[in-house]
Amino acid sequence: MHTELKRLRSLLDQRIVGHDDVKDALLLGLVCREHIYLEGPPGCAKTLMAELAARGSELAFFFYHFHRDTRLSELLGDVVLERRALPDGSGERIGQQIEPGGILTAEVCVLDDLSRAPGEALNILLRILNERRFGSEPIPLLTAIATGNPLRDDYYNEPLDPANLDRFAIQLRVSGLLQSGDAQAARDLVDRFAELPELAEQVSEPVMDRAAFGELHRALLEVELPGPVKDGLLEILRVLIEERGVNEENGLLTDRTFLVKALKLVRGRALLRGRMSAALEDLQVLEWMMTFRVPEQLRPEIPELIRRVAGV
Amino acid sequence: LSEKAVAEGHLRTLRAALDAAITGQEEAKTGLLLAWLAREHAYLEGPPGCGKTALAEAWSRATGAPSAFHSFSRETRVGELLGDVELRRTARAAGQRIAMELAPGPLLGAEVTVLDDLARAPGEALSALLELLSERRVRGRELPLGSAVATGVPPETAAVDALTPGMLDRFAIQVRMHGLLDARDWSTARRLLDEERPPVVQPAAGSLLEWQTLQRATQRLPIPGEVRERLLEVLARLRMLVTRETGPTSQGLAGRSGVVSAAEGGALLSDRSFGPLALRVMRAHAGLRGAVSVEICDLEALRYMLARRVPEALRADAEALVDGATELPELWDEAAATGSGTAPGRGGGPPQDPAASGNEPPEQLEIVSASGLPNVERPGADVLPLLRALEGRLARGRADLEEDPAGAPRRQRPMRGLEDFFDADPVEGWLYASAQLPEPPRVLRRERPGSGGAVAVLRDVSASMEGRLSSWAGDVVLGVVGLARRARMGLGYLEFNHRAECYTDAGRFFHRGYAALTRLATRARCEGRTSYEAPLGAALQAFLHVPDRSRHIILLTDGVPVVGDPEVSAARRLARQLRVKVHTVFIGLGDCPEVLDRLSLETGGLRFRARPSLRGPLRVRERGEI
Repeated sequence: MHTELKRLRSLLDQRIVGHDDVKDALLLGLVCREHIYLEGPPGCAKTLMAELAARGSELAFFFYHFHRDTRLSELLGDVVLERRALPDGSGERIGQQIEPGGILTAEVCVLDDLSRAPGEALNILLRILNERRFGSEPIPLLTAIATGNPLRDDYYNEPLDPANLDRFAIQLRVSGLLQSGDAQAARDLVDRFAELPELAEQVSEPVMDRAAFGELHRALLEVELPGPVKDGLLEILRVLIEERGVNEENGLLTDRTFLVKALKLVRGRALLRGRMSAALEDLQVLEWMMTFRVPEQLRPEIPELIRRVAGV
Repeated sequence: LSEKAVAEGHLRTLRAALDAAITGQEEAKTGLLLAWLAREHAYLEGPPGCGKTALAEAWSRATGAPSAFHSFSRETRVGELLGDVELRRTARAAGQRIAMELAPGPLLGAEVTVLDDLARAPGEALSALLELLSERRVRGRELPLGSAVATGVPPETAAVDALTPGMLDRFAIQVRMHGLLDARDWSTARRLLDEERPPVVQPAAGSLLEWQTLQRATQRLPIPGEVRERLLEVLARLRMLVTRETGPTSQGLAGRSGVVSAAEGGALLSDRSFGPLALRVMRAHAGLRGAVSVEICDLEALRYMLARRVPEALRADAEALVDGATELPELWDEAAATGSGTAPGRGGGPPQDPAASGNEPPEQLEIVSASGLPNVERPGADVLPLLRALEGRLARGRADLEEDPAGAPRRQRPMRGLEDFFDADPVEGWLYASAQLPEPPRVLRRERPGSGGAVAVLRDVSASMEGRLSSWAGDVVLGVVGLARRARMGLGYLEFNHRAECYTDAGRFFHRGYAALTRLATRARCEGRTSYEAPLGAALQAFLHVPDRSRHIILLTDGVPVVGDPEVSAARRLARQLRVKVHTVFIGLGDCPEVLDRLSLETGGLRFRARPSLRGPLRVRERGEI
């Protein structure tokens, strides 16, 4: 792996016990410039991981925690009113505009508790995420990392609709180490904080050079994608669509995501493993893309299906 | 050594200040001391008038640190906490720039904060505050905040939506307080009477700098391996306890069967609270003892973290488990050998015969659903079709968004009065106020999903319902409680034979004390004869006092009315008038009384019949048009 990325990864490892897949996915998202959505119960370190990955990368950073009163100006920048006298002196013109800030000037942003955003803010936000432009101006945004709570019978968060979630190429479920009963992880967690009580108080510094990102991204485009990998990708999609009955109604296997973005992520995985040519095993990134894009009941089958096709 | 003496002195003064404010409530006091030493937040939950606020205020004064106090109400807005909107005008070449900025609010400068009656705040408004509490940072600015103490009434007594365990997870310390009278603590009550005296203003205990030094030193206390080991065992057992009772907590969502909601009150053993936070609190506990290292006995600190992380029905068990953990190794191992740290005398839990559970495969334990509920998946309790059909009906009222001051801003509306001004578009508001816009500014229209109206469950407990039918009816009631909970409906519960007995909460028939109803539903005793008139009359009377939203009655019965008007004409008329839908469920082999058909058909309700078979499941069918 690229040395700069390794430093970012070890920053994550140093602060967070377990969650290897989430850490990998975060790096992948940063390198591929795709958006990431993490869903998990409160207190499972999803925000902390998102923030560490984003802050550790020396890119212009924006953190926003959504609440029901989120105003667009908090996300986009100050609302500015300009008053100008009319040339003929008969009155004045009052114009309203946004002075870009927040998400419009950031390269990496963490959108915490996205599921609490009021509809009005969400619509504009998702358009920005998708098009990476505001109005007609392109914005520097590379990666947005959003977190959300699973929908419980709590009344206050509303389910994000699948079309909204589709903006996030990488989608992961995060579960608590203690809640999932992982004894070794729980032990590591307790040991870590018993030995290093100051860990929780540390403020992280960027560990990655921003030039490295440009370099990685350029390298990404050069990763070779052999025919069998493309065949494998299509085979997985074929099985899901033709044999398992995924369609437009119950899933979101869109061309944009699975024929364009998927290639990028497959290349990214190869790059993260230090290869300049993608292999069948790199198709495992598809698992992270399907979390909320296939019907719930199919989800348990996905890893097995990918492994079978990839021959891992 | 002198440093240690100073620390002990400060802690003693702080404790004395709390003692002077409130008699008794030792657990809450210790909880506050732990929170302060750990620089963590505390949540005190208790009924009105048990001294929560007085205690929190005494604590914030006695720490001598810069403090803030905020009392929450349903209308609390984020701006009140974080600061008001300021319009800043700067001159520019081509005109004038007017930008909206947020002024620092009172909470931002405080080291200690009292958040009074937090449970009254509209849940959604809290996320900004909770973020502030957990990050100790607002808009990139570090806050001096050390500890915040919030108070709240238990979910059952609050007329508003309960705080969820997820929200409360930010409060490392969580203590459930009880009134002295409620706890029947007569000796302390007597002491309170004896100690009647004017309030004394206690001096602050120590300077902020001294406290911070002490807090830092406390958080560097070593935690030896054996303590960590024991902590892990406690956590593993706690997890077993809540998983067994509530189903998997992480992704358990609406319950396996879709019937039982995620668990009464929910359980939350998050990594944050039982990893880093538990260690901080244990270190504080050791600091409180003046020890130089954390020891096994400091596991007692976990007691102060349980109140809302473990459902109420399991709290006694969980506390016993924690107490057991501080015991000598032999006793602890012995407890481990018997399989669980189950305390005697817990209320409402399913019977757990230790011998029997030892023989069962572990999967059997997994099927037991939410606290104290019988397992809805066992044969003979096939209530699912019934509940699905009912859910469809009940859900109709709740999809609509209603205007509500505690809701989320979703669209804009014209301003109606000056009280709306705070929700106005600031720029437009300013233009209006400076007489540059003739029209009043638009304000945000706040909406939230409808609360879904009310449902009354009328359960036949006449003698013929004894036994299996009753337990089946109990399952139906539990399922309906779950539906009502998800749809946020007011729920009324009434048991009837020839008389009707309503179960009210603080005098109200329709309420949201779902947990209490869950417990009630499992222990119905059957006796007497059947009357329809009495229960329908009582329930319909109650509907007169609730808003005209969606109104439902679910009538569970196995018999024909032998007492009262068999045709219940008056009740039918009233039900039509009030637009109450009466859904009837007839359980039994015989013919369904015609009057039930009439009731449902006239009011637009659903009709079911459940036919018991000798063995195998009870069959439930929805009865179509006849």
